[in-house]
Amino acid sequence: MIHGPDELLNDYKSQIAVTRDEKELEQVRVALFGNSGAMTNLIKEIPGLPKEERSDRGRLLNGIKQQLEGAIAARLGELRVERLADIVETEAIDITFPGPPLGQGHLHVLTQVRRQIETVLESLGYQVELGPEVETEWYNFEALNLTAGHPARENWDSFYFTPELLLRAHTSPVQIRAMQRIKEPPIYIITPGRCYRRDAPEATRLPYFSQVEGLAIDRALTVGDMKGTLLYMIQSLYGIERKVRVRPSYFPFTEPSFEFDVTCGICNGMGCKSCRHKGWLEVGGCGMVHPQVLRNGGIDPTEWNGYAWGFGIERMAMLKHDVDDIRLFYESDLRFLEQF
Amino acid sequence: MKLSYEWLGDFVDLTDVSPKDAAEVLTRLGIEVESLTLVDLSQIVVGKILEQVKHPKSRNDLWVHQVDIGGGRVQQIIAGAPNAVVGTLVPVALPGTTVPNGRLVKDMNIAGYKASGMLCSADELLLGDDHSGILILAGGTPGEPLTTVIPSQAIMDVEVTSNRPDCMGHLGVARELAAGLDRPLKRDFMPSFTGTANPPGRELVKVIIEDPDLCSRYIGGVIKGVKVGPSPEWLQRRLRACGVRPISNIVDITNYVLLEYAQPLHAFDLTKLLGAEIRVRRARDGEKLLCLDGVERELAGGMLVIADSQRPVAIAGVIGGEDTAVAAGTVDILLEAATFSGPSVRQTARALGLRTEASARFERGLPPELALAGARRAASLIAELAGGSVHREWPDVYPEPQEPVRVRLKPWVVDEVLGTHVPLQDSEAILIRLGFHVKVLGDGEWDVLPPVFRLDVTIPEDLVEEVGRVYGYDRVPPTLPGRRHDRWTPLVPSVDRRLDAARQVMAGAGFTETWNPALVSGRKLEALRIAALAMRVSNALSDDMDTLRTSLLPSLVDAVALNRDRGRNEVRIYEIASAFLARVGEKYSQPEEPLRLAAVATAGNTPDSGRAAFYALKSVLAGCLEGLSAPACTYQRGAAELFHPGRCAAVILEGRQLGYLGELHPTVADGLKVEGRLVAFEIDVEPVLANSRTPLAQPLPRFPAIDRDLAVVVEEHVAAGLLLAAIKESAGDLLESARAFDEYHGAQVPEGQKSIAFTLTFRSPERTLTDAEVDKVMTEIKLTLEKRHQAGFRV
Repeated sequence: MIHGPDELLNDYKSQIAVTRDEKELEQVRVALFGNSGAMTNLIKEIPGLPKEERSDRGRLLNGIKQQLEGAIAARLGELRVERLADIVETEAIDITFPGPPLGQGHLHVLTQVRRQIETVLESLGYQVELGPEVETEWYNFEALNLTAGHPARENWDSFYFTPELLLRAHTSPVQIRAMQRIKEPPIYIITPGRCYRRDAPEATRLPYFSQVEGLAIDRALTVGDMKGTLLYMIQSLYGIERKVRVRPSYFPFTEPSFEFDVTCGICNGMGCKSCRHKGWLEVGGCGMVHPQVLRNGGIDPTEWNGYAWGFGIERMAMLKHDVDDIRLFYESDLRFLEQF
Repeated sequence: MKLSYEWLGDFVDLTDVSPKDAAEVLTRLGIEVESLTLVDLSQIVVGKILEQVKHPKSRNDLWVHQVDIGGGRVQQIIAGAPNAVVGTLVPVALPGTTVPNGRLVKDMNIAGYKASGMLCSADELLLGDDHSGILILAGGTPGEPLTTVIPSQAIMDVEVTSNRPDCMGHLGVARELAAGLDRPLKRDFMPSFTGTANPPGRELVKVIIEDPDLCSRYIGGVIKGVKVGPSPEWLQRRLRACGVRPISNIVDITNYVLLEYAQPLHAFDLTKLLGAEIRVRRARDGEKLLCLDGVERELAGGMLVIADSQRPVAIAGVIGGEDTAVAAGTVDILLEAATFSGPSVRQTARALGLRTEASARFERGLPPELALAGARRAASLIAELAGGSVHREWPDVYPEPQEPVRVRLKPWVVDEVLGTHVPLQDSEAILIRLGFHVKVLGDGEWDVLPPVFRLDVTIPEDLVEEVGRVYGYDRVPPTLPGRRHDRWTPLVPSVDRRLDAARQVMAGAGFTETWNPALVSGRKLEALRIAALAMRVSNALSDDMDTLRTSLLPSLVDAVALNRDRGRNEVRIYEIASAFLARVGEKYSQPEEPLRLAAVATAGNTPDSGRAAFYALKSVLAGCLEGLSAPACTYQRGAAELFHPGRCAAVILEGRQLGYLGELHPTVADGLKVEGRLVAFEIDVEPVLANSRTPLAQPLPRFPAIDRDLAVVVEEHVAAGLLLAAIKESAGDLLESARAFDEYHGAQVPEGQKSIAFTLTFRSPERTLTDAEVDKVMTEIKLTLEKRHQAGFRV
């Protein structure tokens, strides 16, 4: 039976309306507009019509074609919306179920803390300087006013290979080497690295540890500048609420010399069990570089002066991460290292 | 060092300064108070023993006392010590009282006898270490608080820096405290006391310093007719508070003056010094001395001793001898006040393993002027407390009297160094309070004379420190330095920051970073046969850390073992640190310290899992080099200690060997009781960084590529690397990349042969390639492989 155009229009319109998914709709489209589709066939008949009918017939069919195409496009839109709505409605998962282990390795916590320290001081214009861990007696002691027989030497009890060669007891030798290399101040450097002292291992100290020392040499530097630098560093690492105090102390290589303390992060300086009710935690030593040390580094102390400070990276990490035993850093127990 | 707050009060008025305040002031001045022990005696009362009988039933030695505690009340109290005899006055803690050592006293019943209170020992009251008996009081009224006899105590444990030997005694610390509080010091440094008895001391004893380099002054105070006995309670109490055991009045006084002036003293029994002579000389080899602690010590040649005409009688600055010591019957004494060289005393004390109150002070270098002050103070106390006549004109050998060191100070330098304004009159007042003399010169500069006990002050910076610490560093505002610089160094990323690129790759591959000690067991390095260039520490703390590691791998393998022991089977770790290699033939020079990256990973215990782990680790290593923007490295069959000889590759970058990659030798893992196989690499990173180049963008390909796979069948021994080299050589420019991706042994290839599959990618930058073009190249490749390696091909 051959449908007339109007019948065809109505018939297919209702077919389009009842399609249930995009696939069915596609089948309808093919039945209409495919190579032997109903609409295609009607259009194919046009050239066989008498000349005067052709254009009316064409116009009529074209109108129907557009209506059907419009109906298909509209239905396609509806079906797509339904399909997407269905996806989001039916595919809920248990989001509390855990993901698989990532298997990512960890950076050592001392690397992380060292990196933070370097970043903070680089932002003030300090450069990292490195030096050998096996040092000469001169760089490790003599150049720093720690002459043989000096009563302070016992605080730097060292491991020796020969009377002249030892494991550096601090990174201060790097300061001397840097002065000799750079020659012309301004010098703003930090010297991170491993150090060694002949102390039996215990919870608070080890015969091997890591330090960062800082050195500034410029014109007319002051104790206030040193305090400001330490405060900037501590606040950048631990938060703006921290305070720093310097307490007079003694090191042969600085004059005046200080210990520097930081307010306890647990009690904010009020005093608690973890700071032994002092409110302050000892962090490191600092001072104005001794003029003889500047001379030993080849710097003229009448023209330049400077300040220096030093502290243990482990100590900083212990304060920051509440680690109570320094030995954990060097034991390589993954249960510890993976916490950071 | 322990300090008694009560004692400090002798020298500076502390009426409205609590022990805590005083501790705070001292800490801010640079004498760090590490702990403060408060001993509150106000709850303890004085009791008088009316009756003492042995407990009839107890099996332990106990005594039952009836104690008058005033107001007509008598308590029954049981004690374990027998020394609270009838008539003595003792400290009593009544039930409900907490004794200073923390113990709460309760009513008790001991074997049928009621005990209402406790008789206290010095130890329980924290007045000393003595717990052998009840503390017997010198006076007091029953029922009165103990504080009427003994004031409440505060003991500070202080840390004195090594430049301040003058603060190793109460007087020096009190001077600091007085300056900090801006109060007068109530005691002059030099006591005015001098002896008057005849004949002059120097006619009675001869003193000769044979080694003036080790002894700059020797004073021998001559005091005759003393009566040796116990010292008064207050003196004993102060010694105990500072941790010193009272012995007899003479010995106690020498210790008392040591704790007060920081000048060590020694009293000899004058009649026992043979030849009435003192010789300060180096010991002769083989000489021995029976010391005061009852130990006979053999003296080494360099040690400085005090000798009489025949034999050593004391080890200078360390300990006295038993034979010439003051004893119960001693009547005449020689009081030694000397100045010995610090390094010499330290060496001797170390060699003998004997650190005493005296040696701890001499080690820091005492000023010779202190000797006279200490001698005079002790002599006056002896005269007062032990009787005896102090002779005039003691021997005092002092070849080179201490020269005053004047320091020129431009006083405005104080402001320049501190970074804040300190009024000139404040600076001057501070220096004067600390005992300095200040003379203002015409040009405004100051001529400053430090007190004789301050040998540490020699340069203007020292004076700035004196002013600064008393003025208060808290008053110096923090500032950041900043000025116009016409010279700078641009920021160069540190080696450690550059290596973060490798750390990132390692972390992504599941490797956790470790930091391991550089000091390891030399014996172990020898067992591993990697000790040839090892540097051995001459004064190691222990065998297991006596040598610098020559490789990071043993530490990492140990860490694997440790984690296995603690229940972790799969371990992937690495470390970035220096190894230490002695320079051959230069025994006394600094070693090479190559910075290394090393990694170890565990694998299953089969040949195949070891092999798979090797290739996996090879990718990690390649990833690190790529992360560091270095060119790709090549591998050659290598041989290294620690590695499996059949599974070891030398890693080569731009013709230079960086290190090794491989499976660890089975003995390495076995020796450490690690099950399964370990793969590892260790490379020098400095050459990698030196070859690091900023990556430059390459144009993206505009034409499609053609991929071809090629399965090459060759003899078992032919390495994939060789085949790959042949492929690349014969393929020409159109070959973009070639990679081996599979190795096959089995039914499809003849016995003794293997099949290696390669994937090849061809591309032209100028046009779309045709299959025919690629076929031509493939034919060329196959020909070359056949010719060079007798290869066959699988389809």
